[in-house]
Amino acid sequence: MARRNRPWLIYALGGGWGHLTRAASLARAAKQRHRVRVLSNSQYARQVASATPELDLVALDPSLEAAEVRRRVIEEIEVFDPGCLIVDTFPRGLGGELAGLIASMTATRVLVHRDLSPRYVAQCGLRSFVQSVYDLILIPGENEAGVFADLPAARITKPWLIRDPTPRQRRGKYSVLVCASGNATELAWYGATVSNLQTLYPSVDVRCVAPVCPPGCLKDCWIAHWPAADLYPAARVVIGGAGYNTIHECLCWEIPLIARPWPRKYDRQWLRARRAAKLGSVRIVKTPEEAAHAAVRQLKELRVRRRIVSFENGTIEAAALIEHACARAFSAPPFRSAYP
Amino acid sequence: MNPEGWKCPRRVGFLFPHECERTTPDGCVDCNNGQVGDPFAQRTDRYGYNDYDRYRGRNPNDFTEADGENLRRSRSRYEDDMTAS
Repeated sequence: MARRNRPWLIYALGGGWGHLTRAASLARAAKQRHRVRVLSNSQYARQVASATPELDLVALDPSLEAAEVRRRVIEEIEVFDPGCLIVDTFPRGLGGELAGLIASMTATRVLVHRDLSPRYVAQCGLRSFVQSVYDLILIPGENEAGVFADLPAARITKPWLIRDPTPRQRRGKYSVLVCASGNATELAWYGATVSNLQTLYPSVDVRCVAPVCPPGCLKDCWIAHWPAADLYPAARVVIGGAGYNTIHECLCWEIPLIARPWPRKYDRQWLRARRAAKLGSVRIVKTPEEAAHAAVRQLKELRVRRRIVSFENGTIEAAALIEHACARAFSAPPFRSAYP
Repeated sequence: MNPEGWKCPRRVGFLFPHECERTTPDGCVDCNNGQVGDPFAQRTDRYGYNDYDRYRGRNPNDFTEADGENLRRSRSRYEDDMTAS
């Protein structure tokens, strides 16, 4: 197949919702003009696939051993033979499996630069690796700008969202929406938050969106839905983690967020939450009791809502930048000069 | 004499407990030459800063266990967990 017409492959390995949702957002924007496949090992891939049947999603079994995942990833990339490889967050791959492959690929190589632990970056020498291997570095939201932001190939876009923000309802259908994303072990915290709200403030109408009903959460207020952003227009306050999607969605929807940063191996949720708190209505809490009280305080403080007048989803610009990088690579001579 | 490759398993640190990783307790100011079992827990010089949740004079949200977790990570544990984020 001519290089120009080869498809795009988005490498979106990693636990939770974040990598897969970001990849689905980009694929959604690019699918009109390109064939796009997403490679994921998220435990939530089935929910995403059923909600977006048009998405070409290869879902690896999340319970596979690391060595088997690495082998399957290499195999999928070699068989698919993409014209453009878009790698989310992990420049060398989540298990380091791309390190020996990516430099020799003829595909245009794009890194989606979500924030990364500086320790990991230093230990694995990621900065020089990224500089030497990637044709384009996309930063999906100014607040995500991290250790690669100053490299010549870096470009900042608006945040990437799975839905374009819509004006919220005049009166929220629910008072509080608890968005229980993250790991299964963290569900109990969200369940306890719902329970606290219902015990301390029985008049507050609370709903909890989660893949399974969290322990402590009544079935009556549990909603199984993806993406959670579909429910934001009906909520007056969101309680959630401080992952990429929750933070950027709430900022873009201008909906108050009570954020509980969770420890992650590579992501720095606490940093994202603190940065967001300077930009919008974001309060950081730790315990379910604090979250319940903060949400009710926030409900009392709510003033006239601002309508979103205009918002550009960063995925549109990202797709255009990737196209541009592919076109540049296509027209470039086969051997790259050491002097640009 | 410790075996080759031995690293001290004790917890050390001021605000955040982390692995000591010294190759010998000899001359160690944290465990006092191996006499203190848990140097992190037994520190007496925090002046009221008992942990990162209770950092006197600071907003308690300045530090969470996410900060502690980030600093505690062993250096050899990257790229081994395919469910991490």
